[in-house]
Amino acid sequence: MFILFALLTLAGAVALTFQRNLVVAGLCLVLSFMGVAGLFLLLANPVAAALQIIVYSGAIVVLLLFVIMLLNEHQEEPAQRSRPLQRWLSALLLAGLAAGAVRLVTGSAALRGLEGVPVPAAMNLDRLGQALFSDHLLAFEVVGLLLLAAMVGAVALVKRDL
Amino acid sequence: MTSLHSILSGGLQGYILVSLLLFLTGLGAVLGRRSILVQFMGVELMLNAANVALLAFARFRGGDAQGTVFYLFIIAVAACEAAVGLALVVGLYRHRQSTDTDRADALKQ
Repeated sequence: MFILFALLTLAGAVALTFQRNLVVAGLCLVLSFMGVAGLFLLLANPVAAALQIIVYSGAIVVLLLFVIMLLNEHQEEPAQRSRPLQRWLSALLLAGLAAGAVRLVTGSAALRGLEGVPVPAAMNLDRLGQALFSDHLLAFEVVGLLLLAAMVGAVALVKRDL
Repeated sequence: MTSLHSILSGGLQGYILVSLLLFLTGLGAVLGRRSILVQFMGVELMLNAANVALLAFARFRGGDAQGTVFYLFIIAVAACEAAVGLALVVGLYRHRQSTDTDRADALKQ
């Protein structure tokens, strides 16, 4: 199951990177988010999986697709200049980062030391609510305020003459 | 050999590897594409990679509720970022009639 969801996640991400059509790229993003939600289920965290599907695959991707269709920019326009040097440098940077990080992760004794932990009890809303409203009440209220500020900010940015 | 087996069967190293590769794919989308909307999708992918790593560590350190609380805060901030970011994209499109970032390389038109 882990392999299936991991491949789903990475296949969606790679397809997004090489997709010409922006609407199809948005749907590849949904595929990738669904794979991440599956990984969260395997991590004994169904609450996070549900939140992932509702907030990311639901709200954020729908908003993104609305903007793509509103702007009528379904295709990336052809490049004004080809920039071979920057292209090769970014590919080199990505390959170097990937090689170094993979070596670091597979060779890490600290990560291997955490392997044997048994699967904990699945996260439920009861435990999450207890932790959220007893230890993190102030942060919760601040997040509510932040969402309000972001909403007002988004309206102010898009409105032509305020 | 045991390391490879643990990665393929869903050990902690497997999750961290998936998270890393997801992050690098998102970085590739930001660096390699010109459309600002695809770059935005790449940023979302990188944010998701961080979430996978966070919840993987939370599960392999005993399944504490704190990890999920932080995940909740992260997606709240991500929702704010998406709303404001897309508003900025719409504003940019009004100014330049394009979502190509190569056309937006000067602060003033």
